[in-house]
Amino acid sequence: MDFDPLMLARVQFALTAGTHFLFVALTLGLATLVALMQTRATLARGGAAVVRARMVRFWGQLYVVNYAVGIVTGLVMEFQFGLNWGGMSSLVGEVFGAPLAMETIAAFFIESTFLGLWIFGWDRLNRWVHLGLIWVVTLTAYASAYFILVANGWLQRPVGHVMEGGSARLVDVGALLGNPTAVLAFGHVLFGGLLTAGFFMAGVSAFHLLRRTAEVEFFRRSVRVGLVAVVVSVFPVVVFGGMQFAYLQPTKGGATEQGLAEQARFVERFGPGDYLPPGLATVGEVVMMATWGLMALVAVAGLVKLPFGRWLVRGRVFHVVLLVAVPLPYVAMLAGWVFREVGRQPWMVYGVLKAEDALSKVDPGWITASFVVFTVLMAVLTVVNGWLLARFARRGPQGVQLGAAPPAGSAAESAPALTPTF
Amino acid sequence: MEIVAVVVLAVFVAGYLVLAGADIGVGMLLPVLGRDARERRLVIAGIAPFFLGNEVWLVSAVGVVAGAFPGLEHRLLEGLFPVVSGLVLAWVVRDMGLWLRGRVEAAAWRAGCDGAIVVGSWGLALAWGSVLGTLLVAAAGEPVSGMNAGTVAGLPLAALFALHGAGFARWRLSGAPLERARRWPGRYAVTGAVLVAVAVLAGLGVPWEQVRASASALTVTAGTTVVLLPALVGAQALVWWTFRGRVHSPSYL
Repeated sequence: MDFDPLMLARVQFALTAGTHFLFVALTLGLATLVALMQTRATLARGGAAVVRARMVRFWGQLYVVNYAVGIVTGLVMEFQFGLNWGGMSSLVGEVFGAPLAMETIAAFFIESTFLGLWIFGWDRLNRWVHLGLIWVVTLTAYASAYFILVANGWLQRPVGHVMEGGSARLVDVGALLGNPTAVLAFGHVLFGGLLTAGFFMAGVSAFHLLRRTAEVEFFRRSVRVGLVAVVVSVFPVVVFGGMQFAYLQPTKGGATEQGLAEQARFVERFGPGDYLPPGLATVGEVVMMATWGLMALVAVAGLVKLPFGRWLVRGRVFHVVLLVAVPLPYVAMLAGWVFREVGRQPWMVYGVLKAEDALSKVDPGWITASFVVFTVLMAVLTVVNGWLLARFARRGPQGVQLGAAPPAGSAAESAPALTPTF
Repeated sequence: MEIVAVVVLAVFVAGYLVLAGADIGVGMLLPVLGRDARERRLVIAGIAPFFLGNEVWLVSAVGVVAGAFPGLEHRLLEGLFPVVSGLVLAWVVRDMGLWLRGRVEAAAWRAGCDGAIVVGSWGLALAWGSVLGTLLVAAAGEPVSGMNAGTVAGLPLAALFALHGAGFARWRLSGAPLERARRWPGRYAVTGAVLVAVAVLAGLGVPWEQVRASASALTVTAGTTVVLLPALVGAQALVWWTFRGRVHSPSYL
């Protein structure tokens, strides 16, 4: 086989990370919105409490469907570092691995355990405990995103380490954790997730309002929550994005004056070679910014309409716009990652370790096989997730399974054993 | 600090094998314990609240390896590339079967998801048998790098997971599936102890001194873990307390 294993491993990582992030973006934002909705539902009294509790279950179910598929794409990511990029663990492993370890122990472990309690403990646990669970899940999801961005931020702007005998040794944990390329990216991703979830909620609600649903109250409230999330996050996301330009690698923009000067420095230090990233990086930058412009326009329209509930229920053109806008944050996110990651090439760790030197020394046939299998898997998972989200979103609050009494559950509970009627 | 990090890793790996080993084993025995779609859903309800909180022990173990023993990550994952790839693939297939089964009513969908759960559970158990077998042979004297005789010889260890699952099923199931689980000689405490022993023996052959991170990085990872471990164990205990007792009806999955 004459595939280039380096290219295959890079494309595989791009597809895995890209797929994983589609899920992460919605998970982060939707967890926050569900936690806020559940807080209001828990505090509410009377009729509003009923609608709000139903909102928690409907949007919570979409969140859980998305989380489940997102989690397995994350598992593939975690193992891919060691499988395809063995040079990472042997040369820079202890620096790159430290935030990954903290992510699994200080964030993901608690997030997953408590999410299990939240899902399966519905109506079993005290409602305040149940509310506390979703908040723990949300906060640990943010902690998880932060630690992963610490790892990624170090690849962009390696700090806090010294090179000894060809491998990196961690000397300053504070510098690693406070790396601006991590902290600012965290702010960017935090608001990006809210923006994604906001557009998702607004779009799904608009679909039901457009179809003249009987659940007017339910989706009027939901479209408001979504639009408020959009309006609140659309400017912070661009501010945190823009602030990162101060820490951009000189080569990221391609053959600019800075880029060429850095290229000359790299040639001097590491020998002849091309140290400029592929042009795809700047394409990502342009697409990201253009998409943000479109989202900002929708956000302005939303801001004008938000104070008027009836307008939100009736404006059919706006419903279509909201429905069409659902993919926009995803496009912007993926384009942003292309800018960030492709723009780092040919480096794995900028100015420290080249991607080609980080590649595992395994038989190229295994890398090819792994590429084919996991690419098919990622594609299937993305399609299944999209289909399930669309299916449950379309069914509306009537079709919710999360937190519902299981079918024939009470009958079975009173029976001593499983009977044929069960 | 190195000994602390080794103990911490042992806790996570042993925790994973004992806790997740049970839900993997129940998945392996799914067609035996549940004869029709409804019974199988009850069997799955038995592990449903646990499997998410169980598999995170492995995610954390991999995290500890990445942070404290980067050399081991390199040797193990790169050296056992096909086995570990198969392990991840089986894990994903199984989890998708579990998560997605209850989402669509169609009989074909449920049957497909049941198939994914069974195949994925067997794949996981066999891959673990292979990984543990490789490490056990390495502990007997061969260097830990790549496959060895234990990679194949370890495959029968998968049976241990099935027995462990049967032991867990005795606690959780009810009705006909419980009766079927009782026909298996599985005792949770016994198989659990054997799994811990296998994990400890497998770790004896690893040259920890050579694969460990520097003192400062080791302190960060091991220190964070030791401080947080009580909270993690507490969270796990909360899950067991909340979902103690037998299942009689289907759950969300």
